[in-house]
Amino acid sequence: MSHAAVQKKKIEEAPAEEVDLTAANAIIDKYLTLPGNLMPVLQGIQDEYGFVPPPTVALVAERLNVYPSQIYGVLTFYSQFHLKPRGRYIIRVCVGTACHVQGAERIVETFFGKLGIGHAETSEDLRFTFEKVACLGACGMAPLAMVNDDTFGKMTVQKVDEIIAEYNQRPMK
Amino acid sequence: MVNLTIDDKQVTVAKDATIYDAAKSAGIKIPILCHDKKLHPFGGCRMCLVEVEQMKGRLIPSCTTPATEGMIVRTSNEEIVKARKLVLELLLLKHPVDCPVCDAAGDCDLQNLTYEYGVSKNPLSDEKFRWEIDYINPLIERDMNRCVHCGKCARICDEIVSFGAYTFINRGIDAKMGTAFDGPLECEFCGSCVSVCPVGALLSRPFKFKARWWAMQKVKSVCSYCGTGCQLTLGVKDNKVLTTIYDENQGFHNGQLCTRGRWGYQFVNSEKRLTTPLIRKGSALVEATWDEALALVSTKLGEAKSAAAALVTPRLTNEELFLFKKLFTEGVGSENLDHSAGYAHAALTDAALKGLGEAASPSVIADIQKCDLLLVVKSDAYETHPVIGFEINLGVKRQGVNLRIVSDKSGKLSRLPGAQTLLHTPGSELVLFNTLANIIVTEKLVDASAPLLDGYAALVTALSSCTVEKGAAVTGLTPEALVALAKEYAASEKALILMPLGLGYPGHGSALAQSLLNLAMLTGRIGKEGSGVLFMGEKNNSQGAADLGIVPGKNGKDAAGIIDGCIAGTIKALYLVGENPVVSYPDRKKVEAALSKVDFLVVQDLFLTESAAKAHVVLPACSFAEKDGTFTSLGRNVQKITKAIKPVGSSKSDYEIFNKIHAAVTGKPLYASCQALFTEISESVSGYAGLTWAKLGSNGVVRPVTLSPKLVPVVAPAPTAEAGKFALLTGSALNHCGTLSQYGEGPMMVCPEGYVEFGRADVKRLSLVEGDKVTVSSTAGSVTLKAKLGNRLSEGVVFAPYHFNDNSINSIATGAPVTWVSVAKAK
Repeated sequence: MSHAAVQKKKIEEAPAEEVDLTAANAIIDKYLTLPGNLMPVLQGIQDEYGFVPPPTVALVAERLNVYPSQIYGVLTFYSQFHLKPRGRYIIRVCVGTACHVQGAERIVETFFGKLGIGHAETSEDLRFTFEKVACLGACGMAPLAMVNDDTFGKMTVQKVDEIIAEYNQRPMK
Repeated sequence: MVNLTIDDKQVTVAKDATIYDAAKSAGIKIPILCHDKKLHPFGGCRMCLVEVEQMKGRLIPSCTTPATEGMIVRTSNEEIVKARKLVLELLLLKHPVDCPVCDAAGDCDLQNLTYEYGVSKNPLSDEKFRWEIDYINPLIERDMNRCVHCGKCARICDEIVSFGAYTFINRGIDAKMGTAFDGPLECEFCGSCVSVCPVGALLSRPFKFKARWWAMQKVKSVCSYCGTGCQLTLGVKDNKVLTTIYDENQGFHNGQLCTRGRWGYQFVNSEKRLTTPLIRKGSALVEATWDEALALVSTKLGEAKSAAAALVTPRLTNEELFLFKKLFTEGVGSENLDHSAGYAHAALTDAALKGLGEAASPSVIADIQKCDLLLVVKSDAYETHPVIGFEINLGVKRQGVNLRIVSDKSGKLSRLPGAQTLLHTPGSELVLFNTLANIIVTEKLVDASAPLLDGYAALVTALSSCTVEKGAAVTGLTPEALVALAKEYAASEKALILMPLGLGYPGHGSALAQSLLNLAMLTGRIGKEGSGVLFMGEKNNSQGAADLGIVPGKNGKDAAGIIDGCIAGTIKALYLVGENPVVSYPDRKKVEAALSKVDFLVVQDLFLTESAAKAHVVLPACSFAEKDGTFTSLGRNVQKITKAIKPVGSSKSDYEIFNKIHAAVTGKPLYASCQALFTEISESVSGYAGLTWAKLGSNGVVRPVTLSPKLVPVVAPAPTAEAGKFALLTGSALNHCGTLSQYGEGPMMVCPEGYVEFGRADVKRLSLVEGDKVTVSSTAGSVTLKAKLGNRLSEGVVFAPYHFNDNSINSIATGAPVTWVSVAKAK
């Protein structure tokens, strides 16, 4: 198969998503007349859906009269935006200098092994998203992990199991 | 004005000039990668760094820094050179430096600057990018490994094209130029991005590996597609036109082109070109010599005399059209002469002639950016004349032009900032503009000059019945919207109306044009800068054809009359020059019957078109690239084209062919050159007086008009309507022009066939999917076309472009402004 044909096939195989746009429309309605409304609209959509579903990008583009490409540029520029669904529980492990010297890489590797997902990936059941981050600002507690807003200092490999077990119990909603 | 010193030179520039502009005006070259004179300053590449005495301590980007009074600027010293070298080293760090296989080599800013600054080794080292190269779309190869992040592609696509295909995606070292969702490029394919790319990141795929840049001859010419009159530079090698080359200093459009102009050149060297004359022997067309063919044509035309008729394409040069008219009227003795005027250009040849005394627009292209209010009739100004579309984009976005669109469908222009689109019932344009005129009269918004014009009283009387209420009912607009538009139009100091013409817009071209002229005259807009009406002729020399009177004589038949005459047997010989009426004129069945019936049909064309296949004699003509001559643009700019290659095969230019037939039928000597004909034109055609070949120069001359405005009432029949049927609007597809672009590879790659476009409501109602086959039927016949899903058509309205031979739309459209059709999914 030619290079072009392979590229084309890849695109054709991507599944089309069905997304309920009611909430996105309501968010756009709220900011429609505000100058510089693209950021609050995207933030609102991310809050509502947990990420920015691609069909909402087309909707925002049409209703705010902004090019879809520009929206994509904004979404990929800011790390706060996500184009794929995120887990209910976001596990963040610090790999900043202090944590690094305290063995953060081993914590990371253990999470990888136990969760079966890598950096910036989300488990299939949408329960966990794992991220390596550079410094969470609590170097005294190194090595450090966070799950959503809960902090876990002085992390050990053993604690990884406990954390995963704990959050596997918690509800998905 | 601002005075400053650059490299010890005193420079005086306008207040809004940057240091870069000031240096340029003084002939001092500052290197740039991301700067483009057409775009807003960006300041991304840091190649243009200079030292400013008053701002010492850091180097200053000259392309974004305004020149101020007393500035002392140094454009080169050791520190500056070092800084520029570092910029290049950093760029080369990631760049693949694959110049031997890069088509941009020789015309690459990065390569040239690397050479100029002698960056032969790089103290830095890093991995190269490994971006996947985009080979999906047929026209633009995107190799982001070669990109220098100047952002020009994204900026031009936004600022001038207003499409916005590109953006910077990601951040930091991962940043690259990409599309939405980093997907394949799905755009208009005007190629503006390719033209401004300073390196080989964006390349023309049809030109890939065709020739090294320096090995090509660069020949200046004028585009032979639409009437805009864009200047072109052809890249020529081995008697072949291999590409078009961007020259930012060419024409009013600064080198901007559309798909057809940039990528439609392949028809010139197409393998389908006719290379020898053909004469019919029984059912076959057999190769013949020029002598045989010309003798036969001269004899048959001479015999037919006043029963001869001719339909000539307005794609020919002025000289050819002029010579043909002589040949036909004086030599053959027939007045049955027309171009597509009868169908497509009556706005010029009829309405403007009656209303203004000249078959030309009172306004010029430059008025678009000078007006306060721009009223675009039909949204299709963008589709028919894309580079005029760019002018509209620039006018609205940079000059603050208020854009109002009055159309039966919305379009790309409708999305411009502040644009308002009034969507009216299909076919109700005449009622709409008469209503607007009446509002202007009743609201006492008439300019003091209008009552002095001929026909004022008659117009006011005729308009009195065109009440707002009636107008609103017929057009489907609210009375308030009509009144608001009329008031806004009258209140704007400079107001310009644009009306695209063409074979795709049949029915009421002349009446519509007259109603627009009335509106402009009532408000005193004719003959004023930035105001008036601009009729946008469909073909590259539509204006020339109108100027030279390629219209029926007093007793002659027009295009429709000629077709009827062929069927009735009153026309004995028909000479088609570059016209392909089978595909482009309304009512295909009737046209085919006419061409089959006529005793003698001679077709002179580049290709064996559907019409030529029916001919008794076929004469192979040359393209615009194989001849000298002049075209007159829709803005009345008379411009020269230059012979770039020798005629393909044994084809001859239309000038040469006409010259021989002219000599044969008149017994007069041959013309020595087309320049001699141009001299005759300047002596006999008003508006061309005083023009000489030399005076035209490289930018042409806008020929003047002598106007004698006259108001002519327009009868506005109520639009037709048929319950349960769809209103079919025909027109131009963005990537095509006439039927010629069918032979241009680029346009066919992005728009290979006809289609029928639906709006959202109908898509839902008929559960259509893009590409579904649908059968569209009218009383004249039916065609099966692919469905295109859009969001610009109202419920019950469909659109189809006319350019294509297969399932040609003229099989169902017979020349009415709106054709009523039924639509069903094909099995």
